[in-house]
Amino acid sequence: MSLFWIVIRQFAENEAMATSKKVITREEWEKKLNDVKIRKEDMNKLVMNFLVTEGYVDAAEKFRMESGAEPEIDLATITDRMAVKKAVQCGNVEDAIEKVNDLNPEILDTNPQLFFHLQQQRLIELIRNGKVEEALEFAQEELAPRGEENQSFLEELERTVALLAFEDVSNCPVRDLLDISQRLKTASEVNAAILTSQSHEKDPKLPSLLKMLMWAQDQLDEKAAYPRINDLSTAMLEDPPV
Amino acid sequence: MNNHSNISNSVNNTTTSTSPQDLGLHFLEMARLGLPRGLCDMDEDEDSPTELNTINSSGGFLLVTPDKLSVKYTNVNLHGHDVGVVQANKPAPVKRLVYYFEIHVKDAGAKGQIAIGFTTESFKMRRQPGWEPNSCGYHGDDGLLYRGLGKKEPFGPTYTSGDTVGAGINYASQEFFFTKNGIVVGAVEKDMKGPLFPTIAVHSQNEEVQVNFGQKSFAFDLKLFEAQERMKQQTTIEKLSLPSNVSYRIVRSYLQHYGYEDTLSAFDMACKSTVPPIYIAQENGFDEQDIMYALNQRKTLRQLIRKGEIDAALGKLSEWYPQIVQDEKSATCFLLHCQKFIELVRAGALEEAVKYGRNQLGKFYGLPGFQDLVQDSVALLAYEQPQESPVGYLLEDTQREIVADTVNAMVLSTNPNVKNLQGCLHPYLERLLRQLTACCLVRRSLNGDQGEAFQLHRVLNSIKKSKC
Repeated sequence: MSLFWIVIRQFAENEAMATSKKVITREEWEKKLNDVKIRKEDMNKLVMNFLVTEGYVDAAEKFRMESGAEPEIDLATITDRMAVKKAVQCGNVEDAIEKVNDLNPEILDTNPQLFFHLQQQRLIELIRNGKVEEALEFAQEELAPRGEENQSFLEELERTVALLAFEDVSNCPVRDLLDISQRLKTASEVNAAILTSQSHEKDPKLPSLLKMLMWAQDQLDEKAAYPRINDLSTAMLEDPPV
Repeated sequence: MNNHSNISNSVNNTTTSTSPQDLGLHFLEMARLGLPRGLCDMDEDEDSPTELNTINSSGGFLLVTPDKLSVKYTNVNLHGHDVGVVQANKPAPVKRLVYYFEIHVKDAGAKGQIAIGFTTESFKMRRQPGWEPNSCGYHGDDGLLYRGLGKKEPFGPTYTSGDTVGAGINYASQEFFFTKNGIVVGAVEKDMKGPLFPTIAVHSQNEEVQVNFGQKSFAFDLKLFEAQERMKQQTTIEKLSLPSNVSYRIVRSYLQHYGYEDTLSAFDMACKSTVPPIYIAQENGFDEQDIMYALNQRKTLRQLIRKGEIDAALGKLSEWYPQIVQDEKSATCFLLHCQKFIELVRAGALEEAVKYGRNQLGKFYGLPGFQDLVQDSVALLAYEQPQESPVGYLLEDTQREIVADTVNAMVLSTNPNVKNLQGCLHPYLERLLRQLTACCLVRRSLNGDQGEAFQLHRVLNSIKKSKC
């Protein structure tokens, strides 16, 4: 019997420990939220930054007119950047390389890795289109010399050339190279390099802020129970578990 | 602070129970935020050390210069209880990422027994920082770090005449750190609580030290250090993953909320044509309908107000939503009339402005919450170049935007499906940013107010490295 009570007491103490976190009711929390002033201007900037960085030039232009927010970069440069990105996404890598060089020849000169990835993508496209001879020639002339300079380039080159060894590429171990995601990866690498060359951050700020919100909530969880936003896309406050 | 905040407090005290009238009042508040001083760094009001505390120092052993920024040991040290020690006049501020100060050793004197560190208020002013509990100090003669009675550890190089040495508190990592000639020597856990005073000590003949609380530039690149500390945190945060396309959804709902219809359709169009297309149709159809409510009318009203065509906007409003402009004394009507007055001033039609002001603004004079804006608006008349005047903010684009936002919210509130009027005020984006700010503030207050608050402004300006 006494053991039973000890267990019960222990249990209650544990419970108390667990709930010794500060509890903030919805009402108190809403008051705190209301005390936070967010400037409209700042939110507009955040949205503009997203549109510009993600390359939605038409939307950015319209947003400038409708909200008065000024883009942080010349909108014309977005059009050029998106043209390059689109070219890679569609597999026109040669075209993309030419466009990047028109934009700023330093971008590829100073980014050997990016240049290699573009050339690799070009090789992938040749293989995809069944141009075996052309692919081999291109690999030997353009890519192999770079592979000699850099071990990781060499490994990637070998992996890519391996595509030629399979009759049915859809079932081979390196089939991921032919996937659309490979194009998107290369495209976003070019996109980032162009943004960096324009002294612009390569990622929009909004996703970072959303991550920061998730992090901040997790951090506060350690100290307090309070209404959380669990679903970012509805921004709904959910009561703390009692 | 200023008189505006007093009034705004009295207006904006309801939180949960919101009526349509309160919506207008919310924007009245926003109109005040348009003031350049309306929203600035709330951390800046914390006092920082500026000079040495001459009242509390161990007088007799040391001499503090009249500018209170240099000390010299004037005695001959005989034992361990005749240290010349002096604290700063204020404790280190805590509501920031890092606090830091430096000393320059002008003369290491007979033995170079100089120390820099932090102590609590009750520190014994005859002892070296680090020799007593609740103190810590980096000592020049042996390069050791002392942390409380009998606790010392190898730490860094010794320092002597000509060296600049710094001590800092990193509130993010909860560490003390020290520098020598601009380079970090090391860091130790900050195991002391309560206000901590920057402290320096000299303990042999002719030792002379100058202190720099930031009046002069530091040998150490504090800005870079802070940027690196923020980056550490950012790297952890960037590893988290977000639900797919959530940013797109939030941007989209923002555009819908404020009635930026043209941007919305351009955005939707672009999302469809990207490779691969981004599908952000909402799963919850109801929500979508609510947020699309009166989108085109809201867009039209916003365009008119942004162009300064207030009469036309009023006309459309009384045609489409007479209930919004029914109450002539509502905050919405007030903001519209106020804006009309401002537009007249902008156009230089001063006589007409005076007449309009008498007819439409006079009745708001003396009403709490309205008076300051009426006063500011009327004050525009007093200046030959109102743009340059202290009330010039009224002529800025943001003021029109606030009026447009007010009308937008009022129209949203007429939606019979609206369950919570707060939703008419704040788009999802704003709710998320508020939650983020509140989480950071509450966490800091549970942590003895230590550390830096989240400020959207700082994040947005981080590329340009400018401060609010």
